[in-house]
Amino acid sequence: MNILHFAIAAPLLFAFFTLWLGRLGRPATQIVSVTGFAIPAILALAAWLTYDPVVAGGYDFVSRHNTGLEAVGITLHLGLNGVALPLFVLAAVVGLAAGLYAAQSKAESLPRYMFCLLIMQGGLMGVFASIDVFFFYLFHELALIPTFVMVGVWGGRDRSYAAMKMTIYLTLGAMLSLAGLITLYVQSGAESFDLIALKEALAAQPLSETISYYAFGLLLFGFGILVSLWPLHTWAPLGYGAAPSSAAMLHAGVLKKFGLYGLIQIAVPLIPGGVGQWENWIIWLALGNIVIVGLVAMAQRDLKQMLGYSSVMHMGYAFLGIAAMSVLGAAGAVIMMVAHGLTVALLFMLATMIHHRTQTFEMDEMGGLAKKAPVLSAFFVCAIMASIGFPGPGLANFWGELTIFLATYELRNWLVFVVVGGVVISAIYGLRAISRIFFGVESEDFQEVQKEHTVKDMTWTERVPALILLVVLFLLGFFPKTITHPINDTLNAEPAYAAEVKASEGEG
Amino acid sequence: MNPEIFTSALLVVPLFSAALIAFTMRRSGTLASGVSVGAATLVLATALHVIFQVDNFEFNARWLLVGPFSLDFGFLVNDLTKLMLLVVSLVGFLVHVFSLGYMKDDPNKARFFAGLSFFMFSMLGLVMASNLVTLFIFWELVGFSSYMLIGFYLEKPSAAAAANKAFIVNRVGDFGLLIGVIMVYWSYGTENLTELQAMVTENPALVTTGIGLLLFCGTVGKSGQVPLHVWLPDAMEGPTPVSALIHAATMVAAGVFLLCRMEFLMTVDALQIIMWVGVVTAVFAGFVAVAQRDIKKILAYSTVSQLGYMVAAFGLGTLASMHSGDHGMGRAMINGGAAAAMFHLTTHAFFKALLFLGSGSIIHACHHEQDIFEMGGLAKKMPITFVTFTLGLLALVGTPFLAGYFSKDAILALAYNHEGGRAVFYLLVLGAFLTTFYMVRLWKIVFLGSPNSEHAKHAHENGLVFTVPLIVLGLLSVIAGYTNLYPHALSPIVEAGHHLASVEGGSTAAMYGTIAWAVGLALAFVIYGAGAKEDSFGKKIGPVFGVLQNKLYFDEVYNFYVAKIQQRFASALHLTEQIFLSGLIIRGMAGVAGLVGIGLKALHVGNLHQYVYWFIGGLALFWVLGGG
Repeated sequence: MNILHFAIAAPLLFAFFTLWLGRLGRPATQIVSVTGFAIPAILALAAWLTYDPVVAGGYDFVSRHNTGLEAVGITLHLGLNGVALPLFVLAAVVGLAAGLYAAQSKAESLPRYMFCLLIMQGGLMGVFASIDVFFFYLFHELALIPTFVMVGVWGGRDRSYAAMKMTIYLTLGAMLSLAGLITLYVQSGAESFDLIALKEALAAQPLSETISYYAFGLLLFGFGILVSLWPLHTWAPLGYGAAPSSAAMLHAGVLKKFGLYGLIQIAVPLIPGGVGQWENWIIWLALGNIVIVGLVAMAQRDLKQMLGYSSVMHMGYAFLGIAAMSVLGAAGAVIMMVAHGLTVALLFMLATMIHHRTQTFEMDEMGGLAKKAPVLSAFFVCAIMASIGFPGPGLANFWGELTIFLATYELRNWLVFVVVGGVVISAIYGLRAISRIFFGVESEDFQEVQKEHTVKDMTWTERVPALILLVVLFLLGFFPKTITHPINDTLNAEPAYAAEVKASEGEG
Repeated sequence: MNPEIFTSALLVVPLFSAALIAFTMRRSGTLASGVSVGAATLVLATALHVIFQVDNFEFNARWLLVGPFSLDFGFLVNDLTKLMLLVVSLVGFLVHVFSLGYMKDDPNKARFFAGLSFFMFSMLGLVMASNLVTLFIFWELVGFSSYMLIGFYLEKPSAAAAANKAFIVNRVGDFGLLIGVIMVYWSYGTENLTELQAMVTENPALVTTGIGLLLFCGTVGKSGQVPLHVWLPDAMEGPTPVSALIHAATMVAAGVFLLCRMEFLMTVDALQIIMWVGVVTAVFAGFVAVAQRDIKKILAYSTVSQLGYMVAAFGLGTLASMHSGDHGMGRAMINGGAAAAMFHLTTHAFFKALLFLGSGSIIHACHHEQDIFEMGGLAKKMPITFVTFTLGLLALVGTPFLAGYFSKDAILALAYNHEGGRAVFYLLVLGAFLTTFYMVRLWKIVFLGSPNSEHAKHAHENGLVFTVPLIVLGLLSVIAGYTNLYPHALSPIVEAGHHLASVEGGSTAAMYGTIAWAVGLALAFVIYGAGAKEDSFGKKIGPVFGVLQNKLYFDEVYNFYVAKIQQRFASALHLTEQIFLSGLIIRGMAGVAGLVGIGLKALHVGNLHQYVYWFIGGLALFWVLGGG
């Protein structure tokens, strides 16, 4: 047993404790469930600080158990490498913030809500800790199902339609990627789902061009749907719009990164030729994410929809980072995933806090909130600045964007002009949201609302989870080496990415 | 002690002040103002120490390494940095003191001072950055402080709109700058300024026009050059001390500083374009200023115009030194263009800060009246403001033997000797005439005659925190042109700038400048009545005046684009997406999928419990089959 086992098991166990002890009342539910989130957070932090693999960039905290499926090549093989580590930490941090926020919320039947959230958290911790591809996938499903349940049961407007649409899309995406993974399992001849074994087998005997084309295609579109690759993104704004805030935080912040993580950690290293074959597809669809979805985000009047579209837009950058097939691009995508995960979780949480005060997500029905809630407005300004990649609060996001831009220029020179244009687009919708919600005078609707509700500034129970996210974001921005160092080591050791580095160094 | 300790302190002190105020003193404005002014004092002392006691140095510490891309956080302190440090810390300190009085009764004083401290942090970081990426980061941060302070009166919709406009217009400029920074990396393999300079000096063929112009986009945004100047006049929505510090003396000049910082990356073609952008801006803004009636707007357009002079000076002088072959080899290791631009930047920082603070003093005394035709007769009511404002004004218009005279002279001399013909020179002389004309117009209407409104009648001189900064800046406006008064640590650049005026043809250029000054002065005196109530001259020239009053309709065109084209296009895309993607294709696909199998059909029912059971059932089945 090591750190990873506890980090995965604790939320799952505490999920059942919460159901069981939840009968004792609200305080008991809160204490038990928050403990279930705090344990993985502390353990992830410990893992981050003590990460020291034998080989630079290799796996640490490795363990292997037979779960009765060894005959088909499946073992519970856990461990973290430099790419998994930051995401593991991300999952833990966002989980803690989402848990803290959910615990103080007024959700109906809180124990069951916390149960779902804790199961999701257990799955998330498992996804990034798995070296075995089967468990990687299984943990994802484990996290996905509570998401559907939470949207369907605790969701807001249009929840059943949203839950259905999300379920169809995400199941389809998961199935396609599963098909891709099984293809790899069969074609590699490794007779194992173990990522390391698969890698070795495929390095010894690469896939034929045709198989690599189809296998990568399956993985690209399967994972692509899960990451809301244009034009398969429409589930995202709708789903996040309806999802209860903590579920949206965990899904948009962490679970969605599963697809990108799968591409970076599994698809590209195993099928290095695949990216080249699908390069134009990735580039054009990613441009769809950045330009089209970016413009659509500009047309939104509903805050949560806008956040949903903006989150979809930023995934386009990550796809381009992957398409670049270089350490620079892939590392940029990982940095961006972490920074974006923290930011978008913060934004969804703040959006709900705004909703509590204005009783609406329609930005035209707000206005002037900064006067009544200055602290909330300061948090929101920081979060928006971070999300638009503005150095300062969003220094970590900026590092992600900058490295991706650099990699993009190497990929196609002209692309950088379009991609950096996205920076202007996101500034427009981000700043508009700030001024519509917080600046200016109060709208008539908001004045009406205030006759029934007194508007107060952020309470401390609201501030703590927001602060957690913001502080981690700040730290990552100012000390980027803490994550870029392991990411770099791992990617440099990965031939699929590092080959490009050598080539470009040769040219330079 | 290591020199980087002092430069780090220059960043840490104001940042700490901003954080301390933001976290603990939001409701205690007086304490906050004390902390912030204390920080500004400490910054001034440290900056003076760095300027006089620390030799030029560079310090770099690895910040991050991703693949082949490595980046340092570092300081580059050279003559250019030191001159900017002086301007920023000195003007910053005086504005802090002035704000003690100006913001005395504002309920959100703490937020204001936190913003000022944060601005000092970001501006000092910008000035000292040793590589382009770090410079870009601080460049964005000054933009953020500017955004927060323009929108300081956030309940005013016009202030919120102005803040957004400033931020977004700057982002358009930064779009080019960021691409330039990216291309610099791929072209040269480094972002470090010293390394870049060494590389380019060794092999001048590496310099490309494209990169130079992309980097220049940043200047166009931040320094309010045509066509991105539109945010700067609107930025006057911020409190007046902010206008003085950020939107006149320091931040807007950062664009000029950026050019000087990387003068070695410019080609002849790029410089031609840069020069013309500067010239057009200088003249255009001068014309517009003639038709404005808001005291701060007049000063804002004047700032735009003067920034145009600086940019033009940079282009002219760098071209000249390229032709004469001493590119980068001038006496101060800086070419004539950068020297002339920086010289004017320095003198301008003093007298324009003075003019804005003076207008702040007037606005404060007149209960936030900003229309010059509602003032009048203020000379007698506010004697110290009157005298200092007049000094600043005389310096700005280039009155012989005051600061602006020398720095503008250097620019005119450059233009006179420009090899591409005299057109640039005549345009800049025209700009000088306009400057005198609109400033004397302002002066006569505001200070002479008799009060035109109740507010003006009851105006009286403000206290010492107002007047002392005015007096100090007034003194500087008089002496800042005498470069031999500068201490040795600061003199190389300004002397190189001053030296330009003494070249062949310099006296002819100076003569033209003085004639333009005299004509502007005389015309404005004749045309405008003392303490006039209305713009009679504007009425006489009718339609032309209307066009100028509306700033050549730049805002109208942009607003039309944003509201009617961009936003409609976005909405149309949104609608298309709704109909096409979510409606037809996806529902159609879902329908097909629904027919395909029972598994998916179960999902269509929307019964979530079933889904959970499927998952558990499938899992169990898998284990049974696989395990067996």
